Amino acid sequence: MSTIETPRRIHLERRLHIGPRRSALVRVAGLLVALGVALLALAVTGRDVPALGVEVWDFLSIGDSIGDSFGLQSTGNLATPILMDAIAVAIGLRMRLWNIGVEGQFYMGALAATGIGIHLDLADPLLLVLMALAGAAGGALWILVPAIARAYWNVNEIISTLLLNFVAIAVVNWLSIGPWRDAAAEVVQATPQVNARLPLVPGSLILHIGFFLPLILAAVCFVVFRSTRWGFEVDMVGGNPRAAAFAGINVPRRILTVMLISGAIAGISGMVHLTGVTFRLQGTISNSYGFSGFIVAALAGASFVALVAGGLFIALLLSSGIALQGAGLSVYIVLAIYGVVLIGIAVGEMASRYRLVTGRGETRSPGKRAPP
Amino acid sequence: MNALFGALRTAIDAGVIIVLAGMGELLTERVGVLNLGQEGLIGIGAIAAVISADLGAGPWVAFLVGMVAAGVFGLLFATSVVVVRTNQILTGLAVVLVGVGLSNQLGNGFQGSPVTSRFTSFRIPILADIPQVGPALFDHTVIVYLSYIILPIAVWFLLFRTRHGMNLRAVGENPAAADAAGINVTGMRLLYTTVGAALSGAGGAFLMLVLTRSWSVNVARSRGWVALAVVIFAAWRPSLLVFGAFLFGAMSSLRFIAQQQNWGIPSALLSTLPYVVTLVLILVPAALSRFGFKGRSSVAPGSLAQPYFREER
Repeated sequence: MSTIETPRRIHLERRLHIGPRRSALVRVAGLLVALGVALLALAVTGRDVPALGVEVWDFLSIGDSIGDSFGLQSTGNLATPILMDAIAVAIGLRMRLWNIGVEGQFYMGALAATGIGIHLDLADPLLLVLMALAGAAGGALWILVPAIARAYWNVNEIISTLLLNFVAIAVVNWLSIGPWRDAAAEVVQATPQVNARLPLVPGSLILHIGFFLPLILAAVCFVVFRSTRWGFEVDMVGGNPRAAAFAGINVPRRILTVMLISGAIAGISGMVHLTGVTFRLQGTISNSYGFSGFIVAALAGASFVALVAGGLFIALLLSSGIALQGAGLSVYIVLAIYGVVLIGIAVGEMASRYRLVTGRGETRSPGKRAPP
Repeated sequence: MNALFGALRTAIDAGVIIVLAGMGELLTERVGVLNLGQEGLIGIGAIAAVISADLGAGPWVAFLVGMVAAGVFGLLFATSVVVVRTNQILTGLAVVLVGVGLSNQLGNGFQGSPVTSRFTSFRIPILADIPQVGPALFDHTVIVYLSYIILPIAVWFLLFRTRHGMNLRAVGENPAAADAAGINVTGMRLLYTTVGAALSGAGGAFLMLVLTRSWSVNVARSRGWVALAVVIFAAWRPSLLVFGAFLFGAMSSLRFIAQQQNWGIPSALLSTLPYVVTLVLILVPAALSRFGFKGRSSVAPGSLAQPYFREER
């Protein structure tokens, strides 16, 4: 037995195991660095960064001119579809399926719910339930073809789900300014208001009770994937589909089910946003919530706890962006900052897998890659 | 020129962006890197061309500036995903956000004003004088001929007829084996991701200098995503990519014919046609091969979207 003598040096070494605390910490650090870089860029191009900060604080603060936590409540309403869509994506990610089509499924869910909501006039709770079911069906239907193609024909789901986004947006646009357009209100490029609304959280101005839906759903998912057989089997397919097939799991059917559930959740998020915030179907009903949700889920690495924290944070970031637009910063700069932050977190995530090692290198067994 | 040949002409022009961006993505994916940032890169190429044209640059210079600007973005992306090895899907989406955001911001002052610098079309002697067909096929700018004929042949030759191309494909299929054979995996991936991004930038520049000739918000209009889809449809082959790109162009120009001829189909619905057709084109071959029709293999490069860690070899 002899170890090979190598010169003393500093090098990077991959970690065999990354604890959840370290992983979270490093992501937050990456995010802060990226935000710092973005703010620095703004300062260099002549923006008054502290004044922008004051603007954001005023918008979110509890005691602003409007009286109460209006900014925080609108952030809550913004977080709802983002979190729902993030959960939809995360369920797919457990199986390494990338559903970029949540945006389209959101639109189709909203469309189906509108179809029920403007044509039926029932008691509120019943109508809301019907609309939610329609929303789920609309979302699931919209992912059906990519799901079948992925499960049985092995067609990559990233592009197939993505392409349908553009189709969904165009269809909603056409319906809301064409056949379903509100004839009574001439200025509105949208359908009539739906006949049911989600109740507000007691004591709030605009925050609707749909805000709690993604929180409950995330908790349910956490339990399902931690302690049910179904959740375990899904994770197993995600880990190694061949091994799962040998263990007797019907892999294509699992893929199909998981994708349909993912689409249904995204569809319900469209229904919730419709009945909680916009009340009308219109071409701009989603402010890229699906896209944001996708990013949140991918950053959270399919962990439902990290997902809720990340989703709330992104909503805060976006709603600060809305406040910044009020302060004269264009939506495009906010978009670019968002991108820079995303890269910061992605780099942070990678950095968490390494540690600096000083001293003599010794031969060691190669580490297994940690799951993403 | 009657409507049909007019549409053919539009289809050819509209397909160029997909050929350029798609060929760039094809090269990138062939070395195992998935760059989802096309939408942003087209925007960067477009705005760089607009700005340089505004500063008085001629069409060729503006075109090159568009390529270089997008290439710089591509190099940054490549450094992130190849050297730091960040998640390619996330980083690609970040490129979309930064590219679209930045180009829209820079383009604010150019909204609606026409791009003055433009390519003159190159009439192919004799052929261009054929009635109907001539103007539709043989009276385009040089970029069009380069994109449809020279570029695909060059890429095909590079990939399948040179040793360098074989190494390139090896990196995409199995980076560990390529590394063991002495091929510089990191260098190869950096190079072709940058080249690919520059080609997408060329697509954006073409859009501004030839096709629309004026800046508008979200200038790529999801053509970047279509380019990604067409690469899959083309099964990572240059020849099929050209066909797919032309088909996309044809679908987009169908919308204008329908409006002209009053077919009565809502144009909002017709605008979905390119996406639906692209999706069908991806699904049908896969479905057919499932039911026993053996076509050419359409398997993605083996290491696509996978970072390469030498120590895990």
